[in-house]
Amino acid sequence: MGNVSSKNFVPRSRKFVRRNQKSFFQHKHDRKYLTSIMSAVKRAQQWATFARTWHLFDATWQNPFDSAQVIIKHLMGLHKPIYHPMNDCGDHVVVMNSRDIALPGDEWRKRVYFHHTTYPGGASWTLAWELHNKNPTLVIKKAVYNGMDGNLQRRHTMQRLHVFPDDKIPEEILKNISNQIRYLRPVPTRLDHISPEEVENYPKIVDYPKQYILR
Amino acid sequence: MAAFGRLAVNIGRTLISQESRRCLNLSSALRIKEIRETRDGKNLIVEGVTIPSPRVPLLVKNTARTGACPVCAAGLDVKHTDVLILSQFLRSDGCMLPRRVTGLCKTQQKRIGTMVAMAQKAGLMPNIAPANSRRDPKRRKDWKKFNTYFDEKTIKAKFV
Repeated sequence: MGNVSSKNFVPRSRKFVRRNQKSFFQHKHDRKYLTSIMSAVKRAQQWATFARTWHLFDATWQNPFDSAQVIIKHLMGLHKPIYHPMNDCGDHVVVMNSRDIALPGDEWRKRVYFHHTTYPGGASWTLAWELHNKNPTLVIKKAVYNGMDGNLQRRHTMQRLHVFPDDKIPEEILKNISNQIRYLRPVPTRLDHISPEEVENYPKIVDYPKQYILR
Repeated sequence: MAAFGRLAVNIGRTLISQESRRCLNLSSALRIKEIRETRDGKNLIVEGVTIPSPRVPLLVKNTARTGACPVCAAGLDVKHTDVLILSQFLRSDGCMLPRRVTGLCKTQQKRIGTMVAMAQKAGLMPNIAPANSRRDPKRRKDWKKFNTYFDEKTIKAKFV
């Protein structure tokens, strides 16, 4: 700093500031011109940005606890670049075929749902398959509810989740849907749903021994 | 009386088993060895002819020089949802074929057997089952009617 004499030192920025100020007011892109363009395009873009999208999720053969993580992201708007906890930008998710969810291994028998009525002896333990018998939407609803943080927003976010046990979705909900969330695991094919010709002509790995009696 | 009953049952069993163990059989539709009768004038010629297996043209060639078993040699990562592969190792009633028939190594025989059980529990092969079983997996009892999938990492038999 000692080498720079204060007498000869002219801040370079002064000239630029003056020119920039001039251009700001006299350039063709002045405020009035901009607003006339924005009103047509940007306003609609603004609406689209903050509009609530409706997503469809087919729960056939899907693990409810894995799919809950994806559903939560869409319900809370975590997949959007404008996400902020104070920004109410969550979407709606419609889950269909919740009766056909799949649990791994022996989880239908091992997973337990606890409830207490607050009266003495009011505790009850319901197995997952018993709960699914009573209400085929509850397993996935509880998976989503328990997958979120317990705060004041949780119950409002849950209001945007619509679960249906089969593919019968009311028309007023169906007409809103504009996106489908991709499945997490492929739906397996049953052998009796494959045509006999395809089963017969599929490449074979082993052959029968000589004189083997087929049965 | 009980002894008589047991005797009767035993005789019945031996009769039935003799019938199924018979070398000559007139109903040759399902056998790889077929019995043919030809009448040549006065002589009746009965001969057993070995028919080529229906699988021969579809067979995957085992090119391994190390003598690996067919599944190892094919280099397949078989899952319990691959019902087109798993059904090749089954009898029509859903039983696993023994190792002397399949010709697999011990580990693969065990793995395939476990995956067959997984596929049956998941209801993916309801048409290969005992005659008296419930064919529709949706009509099973309790938790068995709900969809279940399995992780192949839980199979105990594996290559170390």
